[in-house]
Parts: sequence; structure tokens; C-alpha cells
Amino acid sequence: MKNATFRALGRVIDLLLRHRVLVVATIAALTCVMGYLAAHIEIKTVFSDLLPKNHPYVAVNNKFKQTFGGSNMVSIMLEVEQGDIFDMKLLGKVQKITQDLKKVEGVDTYQIVSLASKKMKEVRASTEGIESRPLMWPNLPRDQAGIAALREAVLNNPLVYGPYVSIDMKATLITADFTDGAVNYLKAYEQIQAIAERASGDGVLVRVVGEPILYGLVNHYLTETLYIFLITVGALVFLLLLISRTWHGTLLPLVTGGVSAVWALGAAKLMGFHLDPLVIVVAFLITAQAISNSVQLVSRFDDEVAAGAPSTAAAAKASLSNLFKPGMLAIVADAGCVLVVALTPIPMLEKISYIGTVWILSIMFSAMVLTPVLLSWCGLRRRYAHPVNIMPALQGILGLCARLVTSRARYAIVGGAAVVFVVSGLYAFNLKVGDANPGSPILWPDSTYNRDASAINQKFQGSDRMFVVVGGKHEGALKEPAVLEGMERFQKYMEAQPEVGGSLSLADILPAVKRVVREGNARYQELGNSANENGELVYMFVSGADPGDMDRFADPQALNGAVTLFFRDHQGETIRTAIARVKEYVAAHPIADAEFLLAGGLVGVLAAVNEVILAGQIEAIAFALLVLVVCCMFTYRSSVAGMFFMVPVLLSNTLTFSYMAWKGIGMNINTLPVVALGIGLGVDYSFYIVDGIREELHHHRDIGRAIAKSIASAGKGVLITALTLVTSVVLWSFSSLRLQADMGVLIAIWLFISACSALFLMPAMVLVFRPEFIVGSKRHPIEQATAVEPVPAF
Amino acid sequence: MLKAINGLGKAARSGVALTTSAAPMLIIGALLYTAFFVKAEPQVGNLQARSIERRDAFYGVAVPQADVVWAAGSYGKVVRSDNAGKSWGVQPTPGDAHLQAISAWDAERAVAVGNHGVVIVTADGGKSWREIEVPHSEVANKLMQVRSYAGGTGWAVGEMGAVLRTRDYGASWTRVLDEKDQAWNDIFFVGEDGWMVGEFGRMMRTRDGGESWSTIDSPLESSLMSVHFRDASNGVAVGLAGAVLVTADGGAVWTEARRVTREHLNCVIWDGSRWVAVGDKGIRVTAGADGSGWTGGRISEQDLSWRTQIARAGDGFVLAGANLAQLEHDQLHIIGRD
Repeated sequence: MKNATFRALGRVIDLLLRHRVLVVATIAALTCVMGYLAAHIEIKTVFSDLLPKNHPYVAVNNKFKQTFGGSNMVSIMLEVEQGDIFDMKLLGKVQKITQDLKKVEGVDTYQIVSLASKKMKEVRASTEGIESRPLMWPNLPRDQAGIAALREAVLNNPLVYGPYVSIDMKATLITADFTDGAVNYLKAYEQIQAIAERASGDGVLVRVVGEPILYGLVNHYLTETLYIFLITVGALVFLLLLISRTWHGTLLPLVTGGVSAVWALGAAKLMGFHLDPLVIVVAFLITAQAISNSVQLVSRFDDEVAAGAPSTAAAAKASLSNLFKPGMLAIVADAGCVLVVALTPIPMLEKISYIGTVWILSIMFSAMVLTPVLLSWCGLRRRYAHPVNIMPALQGILGLCARLVTSRARYAIVGGAAVVFVVSGLYAFNLKVGDANPGSPILWPDSTYNRDASAINQKFQGSDRMFVVVGGKHEGALKEPAVLEGMERFQKYMEAQPEVGGSLSLADILPAVKRVVREGNARYQELGNSANENGELVYMFVSGADPGDMDRFADPQALNGAVTLFFRDHQGETIRTAIARVKEYVAAHPIADAEFLLAGGLVGVLAAVNEVILAGQIEAIAFALLVLVVCCMFTYRSSVAGMFFMVPVLLSNTLTFSYMAWKGIGMNINTLPVVALGIGLGVDYSFYIVDGIREELHHHRDIGRAIAKSIASAGKGVLITALTLVTSVVLWSFSSLRLQADMGVLIAIWLFISACSALFLMPAMVLVFRPEFIVGSKRHPIEQATAVEPVPAF
Repeated sequence: MLKAINGLGKAARSGVALTTSAAPMLIIGALLYTAFFVKAEPQVGNLQARSIERRDAFYGVAVPQADVVWAAGSYGKVVRSDNAGKSWGVQPTPGDAHLQAISAWDAERAVAVGNHGVVIVTADGGKSWREIEVPHSEVANKLMQVRSYAGGTGWAVGEMGAVLRTRDYGASWTRVLDEKDQAWNDIFFVGEDGWMVGEFGRMMRTRDGGESWSTIDSPLESSLMSVHFRDASNGVAVGLAGAVLVTADGGAVWTEARRVTREHLNCVIWDGSRWVAVGDKGIRVTAGADGSGWTGGRISEQDLSWRTQIARAGDGFVLAGANLAQLEHDQLHIIGRD
């Protein structure tokens, strides 16, 4: 650092240390205020926050979800162990559940469909014409004859037999849709779970799936998540105490992490954001940054004291003034990398990004100000908290590390890293966008929810829905034979995909009505020949029915209709294939009076998310690198510095992606926060090491010695942080939520790679390439330090 | 590495500096380009539609030889198997009207008829199908059934009292009877004797190969869907709501058999040893040679699809309807659903 800047910084530090009581009091007061705010932050999942704004699919979903069914569908399957569902006991349960569902908070009472709902009708021809009446509403069948009649009616009705009663007649489905925004997932989950539990037994299995249940489960495990979080913090304290052997080495990093967290959550509350339980792991990610910076300062402080600093204040000042540049660089670069994530057009990511940026920037105060100020109160005499000393082991590792990078092995390290980069970079292309496996990746494959989901998808056409809107160009367009035939052919085309279990539209209803009109003659199970005939068929279907029964197929003006596709899973590849096939079909078969609009329902909005996240992630990486390069160029006045520090970032990204590809962790809306916020993570380790080398070269010109020195001091901090964080993060793998376990491991890998690059790769690269901004050149030699108080005597 | 390059002097050094300075921008630029212009492409090309899809309905089948099976159905689809149903190929047909029936003179020559009075014929085993202009009505033209007989004769019946005849393997068709607002659902010939059944239980017969037709008194007023004779005297007609009529005198007097089902029966055949009729919800009923003692039920409890035709194929049967199926040793195998 330039001597002039150095002196100016020294004056500021002196000022801070002189008014240390005031500084601490101010920070404490602020923390109290923020803590009050943070205590009131809401922890909940808002599904609409996960959806990309301005995406055409999401717009279609939002416009039509009220009528055609949104993404908040819950499916309840009742399965009999013996016999079939036409059994009084089971039908009674269906009716009970259907009635109970109406009382569940946030449920759209018009969108509860089951054998016992008013919507489920049989259409029959009689001498007076067409008669349609509810299958099993308001009363259950009275006797065996009634049950036999119900059975006939069900088998006759393609809208019931197949979609709501399984083909083998051993299971029946009840679906309920929730109003977007109004749904409290935890309450919905608990209430529906209670209903399901009351109904199960007596040889009846009850299975429940749906996004509200899934997110309700996540909230249900919130307490467990908090316990794991607390245990992780406990492990952190233990490990820090074990390694540092001092109370200040243990508590100060924790205070830093705590203060930052409180400030960030308070700020989030001020900005009106809420916290998603799924991203709690992210909190750990950023806390890791805070702790890392603080550990560096404490470790440097200990070194200064050991080197004979005259007072603790002097030691605190020396450690801060030496680590100020890499520390600030790390914080600003990290904050910038997190901020660019806000460019991804997903509201939740935007919010996390803002919270994350504030969080990281708060480290400036919690670590760079608070830690040295608090350190100044510590005693000069070292008091160990316990007799176990593993420091020699750590020093052994660091010594080995220094010997390795200064020996000829450095070429092997650089070459090896290049190979790893290329191989992992290529393997990373196997990363799946969207869910990589059937079932929800949030939960373990053998969880009740995932087992239920696969059972339901086996019995029925598929529980995940997508609707494609058929937008007519004029009123009545949906009655045109060309439009209806186009819809039917489109359905047939889509059903060729094995993951599409079935589809449903107006084009399925009208043939069934026409057949009824034509004495039940199967040869007339076809669409009407003219718009008028189709209009009559629609009228017959609707007559005697409630207004609104037709809504899930078409609006009353016959302007907009929907084709609902049922999917057996929502893996990324399934959705991409389906969307591509829709586009392919629409391009090849234009309809004069209507157009197909993509896409609503769960699968529709997931398609939108998947389309956005890959491009969003690459874009975020690019901008994060740009931020990093600009920060480095500004700090070191060298464009080569940008290239130099890009290496560990690129490496950790390709390796993490490879790990995800290998373990089948898809890049989806739930993993994205960690992946996106991790982009710039861990480069700060490298900053400390490389800057340590550079500062050391202010005092002499021996590069090898400078590297060994930097690894011994800054490297110690890196090693302590990495060891403690990696070990404690592993605790997350005991979570009941697979996502948190996966993300915990991911963060551990990220930190581990960053530490390795900082300890091995970066010093080796310094020695191999001798970049000018570190080692200087003939024209720009490194400015040698003048004697500034205090100069630690090395 | 760089050490060595350093030796090359100033020019090389500045070159290296330039490259390393430009590299970050290049990498960032490349990533941005990828983000904006490269999209993950799904492998849609791998997905080939099967020849028989879930939504295909087949209304008619024809079995000109034991191992050759033709089926015709919705949206003008015609499929053919040359290995007794093991594999199927879709044949190119003109138009997309639903085809209601298909009949073959031999393995090469066949005719299919359907909605809007569509008639298509082939003379090359279905490699090419060509549409034939036939007499049309102003009102309705759906053709329900087509039958082919020796010497290139063929009969097609349908809505508005349509009765069409060909004598040249389907190349040209003439209308035999006047229009009336009643559909004929089936026609059947044994030599010069022929019978028609249709809406409102109506029946007609001819004894001179179709030159003149006379009305028969019918004991039913509900529609008859299918008629079949095992010789010039013994025949069975079936219809809606499980109706079965039996005659033993060439169709002069028909008696109604006891109904064993309330489901519609759409097709009846003599399979060489017994009468077999199929209909809605997977129903099949059978009776002995004298047309009495009808019994039956679902072919398979797992299958409730409607059927419009059953045809003998080798030792088993082929069934057309909501799906295409084979029946061997009373085991139902639905084609295209595995």
C-alpha cells in the first residue's frame, strides 16, 4: 500500500480506537434497533415470488389461473387395499373430505373436485332431452342399487373414469385449488394433513401431494431447521475454541457474524421483505464471509502480539491497517457479486440479493470496525482456554503447503488446476436445469411425500398440470370445428410424449355429449360438424348445470379455452420437451380463428422458471466476474490482477456445477439462491493470501520468503475458517429436507475449493507467472515501506 | 513459463500483458453471449409418435388373410399389419374425415368409408389410397359400413338412407335406393341374398343381389347396429341396449332373444363355431349355432372400452373401437399401450 494512504488510514484507525467506547456503544445501539426489527421478520414461502416476472408464461398463468386452475393444486388420493372404490365406507370418506376441505384456509371452494362435489356430473339422454345431474351430491347412494348406478355413471363418463377414478377402480382422487397469495402453506398443510389422517384406516390409504403441501412441509420443518442452525453455531463455537484456544478468537468472529445477521435481517424488514425458509442455508453462506474476515483480523492480531506489539491497541491498529485492503476488497467484490444476482428476473432472488448485499456490506462495520475495536480491550498476555493444542498440526499443514508451492511441485499444481478446470468445465455441461429426478428435490426420495407422489402418478394420468390457453380471435371462436379439431389433434400430438399422462379440453367434452344425443352410438363420439352444432352441444352440457361448471374448459363467450395436460413428473427435461413440442406443433399447424398461448399451471410456470434460470445464472456469473475484475483493477491498478483473481472463482464454479451434475442436483428455483450467491464466494481467501505476499514484498524482495510468510499468517486464518465452517456445514446433511442437506454440502465444497485455491493454487501461480502487480518489475518496482509506527519486528 | 518469455524482451512482454489484460473481458463477453443467445435445446427429435397412439379410435377392421390386418379410424387414419398384429404401419390417406369402416377384397385391394361420404380405395395394399367421388346427399352423408364381395362388388351404407354399390373394386359407386331420413347401419350378403339393418329397428332384404329391396317387419323400434348370416337362412342382428334378433328362415321372421346386457351391441359375427357380438364397455356376448342361450360379460374386467367391430384373424380376433385390440385364447391385448 502506498505510504500516503497508509498514513491516512492510520489516522482513522487511531480515531476509532480513541473513541472505542462510543464506537461500540453506537454499534450496540444500532444492533438493538435492528434486532427489534429482525425479530419481527416474517418467515414464509410466497410461491409467486419464485416466478419470473414479465415472462409470457407467467402472464398467461396469472391471467387465467382463476378459471383454468393455478399452480396451487392439492391432490388427495384414496386407495382401497381390497375390492374397489364403490364401497359405502370409502364413498363416505370421499364426501367427508370434500366437505372438510371447504373449511381449509385459503382454499378456493369452487375448485374442489371429487366424486362427491357438485361439479362432477353425469350426462344422460332421456325422452325429454339431455339431463345432467351430480354423481354423488348432495347425498351418498342409499343402497347397493344406488352404488351400482353410480358405478355405471362413473364408467360412462370419461371426465371421471380415468381422471378422478383410476382405471383399475381401486383409487379415487380429490383435488382442491388454493387462491394465490391467500394461502398460508403451513396452515394448509396442517389442516389437510389432519383431514387425511382422520380419513385413513379401515383398509383405506390416503395420499396427499401438491405444491401447497410441499411448501407447508418445508415450513413444518422450520423448527428442525432452526435447531440445526443452532447446533451448527454450537459446533462453530466449539471448533473455533478448539483451534484458536482463546476466548477472543472464538467470540469475536461470532459477534461479527451475529451483528451482521441482525443488521441484515433488520434491513430486510425495513425493505419490507420476508424470509423464505428454504434459503436459510444462504444465511449461513454469508455468515461464513463475516466469520472469515473476523478470523483473519484476530489471527493477525495474535501474530502482532506474539511479534511483540507494545500494546493491544497498537496490535489492533497494525492488524487492521495491514488487512484493510484485502478485507475491503473482499467485502466490496463479494457484495458486488451478490448484487448482480438481482438482475435475474425472479422476485425472490432479487430480494435475497438485496438482503445479501446489505448483509455483506455490514461486515465492513461488524468485522473491519468492531473486531479491532473489541480486540483493543484484550490483554497482551495470552491466556489459553484449554490445554488441547492442535496448532502444531495446522502449522504442519501450512508448512507443507509453503514447501509445496515453492518447490518444483508448483508447476504440477498449476498444471493440475488447469486440467481440473477443463475437465470439470466440460463435465459441468451435464448439469440439469430444472428438477433432475422425479418427485420433489426438496425432500428425500424415500420421504412420505415423494412416495405418495409416485403412487398417485402411477394410478392416475399425472398430478402435475399445465394448461395451454386457446385464445379465440372472436367470440364463439371455440365453437368452430376447425378450432376444436385443432385442439384435439394438439392433445393427441402432446400425448405422444410418455411423461404426459393425458389431457383434457372442450374437444373431449363435446364428442361425449354428441354420442349421448345420438342414442349413445359410439360412431357419433365426435365433434359437431358446424359451429352451430357445437354450440348446441355446449348448451346441452351446460344446461341444468351450475354456471361456472364449464369454466375450466372455456369461458361463456367461447372466446378463450384451455387444454389441460397432465404430467407424471416435472423434471426439467420433461418440461422442456413438452414446451418445445407445443411450439413445434403450433408453428406447423396454425389455426385461423385461434392461437395457442403458453402456459399456466405448475408445469407452465416451472417452464418459465427453467427458461430464465440458466441464462440468468450465466449472466450473473459474467457480471460477477466483471465486478471482480473492476474491483481488482481499481485496487491494484492492473488489468492482469483481474485475470489472476478470476481463476479461483471460475474453478469453484465449474467444480460446484460438476458436483451438482454428478449428484443429480438440478439447477432449479430452490438451489438457485445458493448457487447464485456462491459465485463470488471464497475469493476473499485468495485476496488475503495474495495481498499478504504483496505487502511482505514491501519489506524485502525474496518472493519465496514472502509466500511462506503469507501462508503462515493469512493462511492460518484461511485454514481456521475453512476447517470450522466446512465441518459445521456438514451438520446440515442430517436435515429432513434434502434440499438443505444438498445445499449444506454444496457450501462446504465451495468453501473447501476456495480454501485450497487460496492456499495452494494462488501462491503457486504467483511464483510461476510472477505477475507485475504483485512482484513488481524493473520499471515499476514495489515501493519499499518506510518506517511507520508500529512496524512489527519480524 | 513466463520466466522464459521474459527473456524474449520487451515486445513479447507487452504482448503477454495485452493478452492477460484482454482475457478477462473476453471471458466475460463470451459468458454474456452464452447467457443471451444460447438456449438449452431439448432432444425432441428422439420422440417419434407410435403408429397407434392413445387417442386413436378405430371403427373398422378388415382381415383379408390370416396375417394381414387393416384398421381404419379417427381423422382418416389407416394402419396395416402384415405379421398378424405384431407391428403396424401408418398408411398415407387423403383427407382427415373419420373413417367408419374398412373392407378388403384381397391383400391388395380394399375400400374404406366414413364421415361426409368419404370413400377411399387402394389397389396396392395401401401404399397409396385415393379418394373416390360418390353420390352425395344435401343433408347428411356419414357412411357407416362397407362390405366387399367376390368379383369386385361392394356395398356401403349410411345416413339419409344411403345404399351405394360398386362393381369395379370401388372405382365407381352408384346409389341404389332413394334418400330418406333414416340411417342404415349395416349390410350383409350371402350370395344373391342380402340384408340391411338401421335406425328405428328398420330392416330390408334382397333376393336378387341388390336389384330390388323389400321391407321386413321388425319386432324392434330401437336402432339395429349390425347383421350377419352364417348361411342363406340363419342370421343374427344386434342393436342398442343389448337387443339381439335371430332368424332361421332367411330373414322373413325375426325373434328377439333374451337380453343378457343393457349395453349397446355394435357388431355381430359367426366365427365358425358360435355367434359373437361386441359392444360398449368391453361387453361380449356369445351364442350357439341356433342363436339361443346367449351369455356374456366383459372380455376383461380391466377393459371397459367400447367396440364397433370384431373380426376373425387366424385363431384369434381383432377388435376395433376406442382402442385396437387382439384377442387370443381369451387374453385381451390392447395394441399400443405397453
